Amino acid sequence: MDPFSSPPPSGSGEGPSNEVVMDQVKQQLAQAYAEEFFGTVRDKCFTKCVTRPSTSLSGGESSCISRCVERYIEATGIISRAVVTSLPR
Amino acid sequence: MDASHASELQYFLEQEKQKAVLNELVGKLTDVCWDKCITGTPGSKFSSGESSCLTNCAQRFLETSSLILRRFQSLQQ
Repeated sequence: MDPFSSPPPSGSGEGPSNEVVMDQVKQQLAQAYAEEFFGTVRDKCFTKCVTRPSTSLSGGESSCISRCVERYIEATGIISRAVVTSLPR
Repeated sequence: MDASHASELQYFLEQEKQKAVLNELVGKLTDVCWDKCITGTPGSKFSSGESSCLTNCAQRFLETSSLILRRFQSLQQ
């Protein structure tokens, strides 16, 4: 059930528990984040690895894409650490 | 919904919002710094030059951001 669209039933208790709502929020945020990340990585790696699109992806292009995805994830980790260390405390 | 029930939720949402802002910042910086630092075809490992470029890029971007912010603030006075 969806706690955002269904109002809590009156009388019979308190509606969805906080735990249920929090889980749903977290799940939806994770989903949205994953979709956005997928789109970004696809765009970056397509630009980098498929410079002259032909009738199919070559072996070289496919392995470039795999490496590109791994490096992009690694780059995200590096940036994340750099940001955390330079946050004002 | 009682008060403690509601404030627990409010606290949770505040936390999630902060995480989302941070995530978005990291995403933006990775986007910008990837283009700046990773100029060749991605290898099976970052060179040390590439990884330090990424770290420097992120930190200088934040520094640039606060520099410009301060400049704007001084213009308003």
